[in-house]
Amino acid sequence: MKAKTYILILSALALFVMPIAAQGGVNSAQSREYQIKAAFLYNFIKFVDWPKEKMPDNDDPIIIGIIGKSPFGKAFEPLKAKKIKGRSVVVKRFKGFEELKKSSEKDKTELGRKIEALRKCHLLFICSSEKKNLSEIINSVKNHSVLTVGDTKGFLESGGVVNFIMEEKKIRFEINLTAARQAKLKIRSRLLRLAKRVVDEKSSGEAEK
Amino acid sequence: MRNMAIRHKLILIIMLTCIFALLLAGTAFIVWQWTSLRRHMVRDLSTSTKIIADNCKAALTFEDTKDAEEALQSLHVQPSIVYAGIHDSSDEDFAHYYRYDVDKSIHPSEFQEEGYIFGDGYLTVFERIILDGEVIGTVCIRSDLQPMYVMLRHNIETVIVVLSLASLLAYFVSSRVQRVISGPILKLAESATRIGKGELSYRVKIQSKDELGHLAQSFNDMTAKLEESHRHLEEKVQERTSELTSANEKLEAEIAERKRAEERLKQAAEEWATTFNSITDLVSIHDKDFKLVRANEAFADTFKMKPEELIGKTCYEIVHGTKEPPAECPHKQTLDTKEPHRAEFFDARLGVYLEVSVSPIFDEKGEVIGSVHIAKDITKRKQAEERQAKLLEEVESINQELKDFAYVISHDLKAPLRGIGILSEWLSTESADKLDEEGREQMNLLLSRVGRMSNLIDGVLQYSRVGRVKEEVVRVNLNELIKEVVIDMVAPPENIEITVENELPVIECEETRIIQVFENLLSNAVKFMDKPQGQVKIGCVEEDGFWKFSVSDNGPGIEEKHFERIFQMFQTLSSRDEFESTGVGLTVVKKIVKLYGGKIWVESKPGEGSTFFFTLSKQEMGVKDAKLEANIAR
Repeated sequence: MKAKTYILILSALALFVMPIAAQGGVNSAQSREYQIKAAFLYNFIKFVDWPKEKMPDNDDPIIIGIIGKSPFGKAFEPLKAKKIKGRSVVVKRFKGFEELKKSSEKDKTELGRKIEALRKCHLLFICSSEKKNLSEIINSVKNHSVLTVGDTKGFLESGGVVNFIMEEKKIRFEINLTAARQAKLKIRSRLLRLAKRVVDEKSSGEAEK
Repeated sequence: MRNMAIRHKLILIIMLTCIFALLLAGTAFIVWQWTSLRRHMVRDLSTSTKIIADNCKAALTFEDTKDAEEALQSLHVQPSIVYAGIHDSSDEDFAHYYRYDVDKSIHPSEFQEEGYIFGDGYLTVFERIILDGEVIGTVCIRSDLQPMYVMLRHNIETVIVVLSLASLLAYFVSSRVQRVISGPILKLAESATRIGKGELSYRVKIQSKDELGHLAQSFNDMTAKLEESHRHLEEKVQERTSELTSANEKLEAEIAERKRAEERLKQAAEEWATTFNSITDLVSIHDKDFKLVRANEAFADTFKMKPEELIGKTCYEIVHGTKEPPAECPHKQTLDTKEPHRAEFFDARLGVYLEVSVSPIFDEKGEVIGSVHIAKDITKRKQAEERQAKLLEEVESINQELKDFAYVISHDLKAPLRGIGILSEWLSTESADKLDEEGREQMNLLLSRVGRMSNLIDGVLQYSRVGRVKEEVVRVNLNELIKEVVIDMVAPPENIEITVENELPVIECEETRIIQVFENLLSNAVKFMDKPQGQVKIGCVEEDGFWKFSVSDNGPGIEEKHFERIFQMFQTLSSRDEFESTGVGLTVVKKIVKLYGGKIWVESKPGEGSTFFFTLSKQEMGVKDAKLEANIAR
């Protein structure tokens, strides 16, 4: 029953998102890149452990939030049916932070609700369109065990946990272990090993491969 | 193997046992090692594969080939691993590692999902890479089996060396140890040989308390018993030998006796055969089925066959030429009655009369098994008999005719004679005065001649009546009869005394005949008496089944030359005129005596007297005890 309702919600969301995706997916190289990145997002979930309060022992879906101007297009379509850690995955899209603030000017509680929704996400992809509001967004979800992922330069320095980079035309990533600890997220060593750069203030501060 | 010395057998058995045990152990060890090595290899390689699979999960997820290759590279510490590779979920080669640079170890097509394969000298292990319940790829690691083989070969070599050394050791030990068992056995065997050669006093010297010790003890006991029984046996043999010798001697004597008996028997058989064949009569021996068993030469010659041809043929076939025995076959009768039989028959083929006497031959139980036939050619006798019978018949008829004739003649003669007599008497009385002296004399002569003639005819009649006319046979007491005859018929003058000297028997006969006999004899004695004191004696004695009667007188006697003549008819010694006699009396007596199976004869000395003897068969007369019978009759 539950799975069905989620599928319904998902399809409704998809209908809602459709025009934006169509807008974003201009060229195929970009769409290929984001298809991989979408898959990577799914895979990150597999190598990260959330604390119990964030992910209790029930069938609640894992929520992937995408904030800002989404470059993914239809990249999540093939992944929609997949389950991770025995749970279904829900992709939620949020408007840019600026827009959120603007739309919430009349109603202060509206913004709070929006932020609360962000905090409920398990993984929050912060699009490069939110470059200016990075710190603000990261800070607002900082203590709520949200795995923040971005593909912006200086994302880790802004307090983000995982950041996509390009290396030899291949998609790689870097990890801020300190931020992860702050967010009470456990990143498995296998994932860490693959990271091109690990920021860890506790030890040497920064490790690079 | 069977003829090997016990020592070698023991060594062989121990050696074989050791070698088999070691071989089995070695083989088991090697097989166990082989399987355990394989198991270990699979386990180790699977572990390595699992580690690689685990380590490569992230790399495969995030398509980090370099990282995956680094992970595979770590396998170079295990020298036996020649290849390791990772394929992604779409079976594309993701990362690989080769110990040697040549890319020939494996092809993606050979990939399996999971498990292991032994083949081509390699062990290949496959392991799925699973992340979050999803197969994201496969790891394959291939290990060279050469090291394992080397190790195995080394182990086999070790086992062989150990086996050889152990066998060698087993040989040395067994050749020492076998003596414990083979020693006493050899000793026992040697003892047995010595005892077998006759050394019965020899004993086995084994002191052990095991089965062999018991065996030796038993063997010694047995030998002792053997020795004892051998001694006993020798005595027995001695005894038996002497018995046998004496028995042998007896036997030899018996054999010699038997030989003699056989020779006698042979001689007897020859004698018998010669006799058998020499007999001119036809002699043959027949079995129960009428078949000839033996026949003499006379038999064979008669039927113109050889004696051996006759054997097995039936007698009726040979003799009668028939297919069945004749109705009155004496052989058949002999078989039926078990008594001898006799038959006469005419053989038309031979033209002879044969008289066959058949005597039975009995077996031990008294059953008739055959018979002896003696056939005599009786043709001549038969012919003689026939001739005789014919003659007899002729004589008989002549005799009868004669008798009838005599009777008829006498009877018919009597009538005219009586007429002459009556006429003559009448003439002599009526015409006596007309006759002169001479005429009367002649007339008296005529009368006396007529009387004589009449007597003669009576005598002839009497004679002819004897044997022709049968009277009733009655019991006659001769003592009584003589008295009557003397008083009524003879009537002797006073100077003649007739005496009966002893008691006469009682006989059965025709009374008239016996009266005739005594009357004639006594009359003659009285008639011819010439002495003044006449003595006539009648006597009777029993002699050879006959009564011998005698009538003796002291009359004139008869000369010996007349002894026969007096019994002939019409024969008289004196002239007719001297004594009135017909010459028929003694003839009649002789005829009667003969009729009763007796004889009559005379003994006489001229001048002293004569004795007439006649016999009567006691059987013929049925004479009983005279005294006893005398009281019964009359």
